[in-house]
Amino acid sequence: MPPTGSLSALVASLWLLNIVLDTGGQLAFKAAAGDPAAGDGLARWKHMAARPWLWLGVGCYVVEFLVWIAFLSLIPLSEGVLLGSINIVAIMIAGRLLFGEKLTRLRVAGIALVTLGVVIVGVGG
Amino acid sequence: MKRFYLFGFLLLMGFDTLAQISFKYAGTQALPVEASLAWLLRVFGQPWVYGAVIGYVGAFFTWMALLKHAPIGPAFAASHLEVVSVMLLSVWLFDEHLNLARVLGAIAIIAGIVCLGFAESREHVSDTEPAPAEA
Repeated sequence: MPPTGSLSALVASLWLLNIVLDTGGQLAFKAAAGDPAAGDGLARWKHMAARPWLWLGVGCYVVEFLVWIAFLSLIPLSEGVLLGSINIVAIMIAGRLLFGEKLTRLRVAGIALVTLGVVIVGVGG
Repeated sequence: MKRFYLFGFLLLMGFDTLAQISFKYAGTQALPVEASLAWLLRVFGQPWVYGAVIGYVGAFFTWMALLKHAPIGPAFAASHLEVVSVMLLSVWLFDEHLNLARVLGAIAIIAGIVCLGFAESREHVSDTEPAPAEA
């Protein structure tokens, strides 16, 4: 991958790691919450706590918290929050691939616009 | 009821904004970045990181409450439109400059988030139809 604009290798790695952790965490929570065998109320929480998905999600979020702090300390905040918007796109694509969620025309337009915006910010700083 | 939603959306944006501002302060005070215990101690040794925790927890509970009552499309958009408030605050608090790329990028991203909000609304149209005029 060619270096993009002003982003150093460390910043780019933290950015990529943030995408992986955020998407991984959301998918893990989705897998935990969507388990039809889980039941209701307290039993549901016990069921989820006894399986790895919930904890995988929590783990992803804890590490992501630290990765995001490191990421933002290296670039301007206004640039950082814009670049972080790519997580929305990653999660929608992952939802489509793993859970067969629909990508309507409006969703595709939204994904394209967010991606375009992130590319503009990434290249132009 | 509309006022309740609006308050909820603003509260959600407020918590998200607080989290991002706190992340920035916490990170800056913990520089230089290194994969070490020393860095972790610097991060958790100053108050800003706890501002980020409060922002996250507050945003989580506000989001859950909103999902129960508010239409999902606007809730989705509100949960991501903190980019606007964070950008404006970072000019004021951190002396950052909004160059052309950031402004154009932000406009495209916001347009995309609005599209996705409408996409969510349309998909859940049956249970998010606004109640008939509450005159």
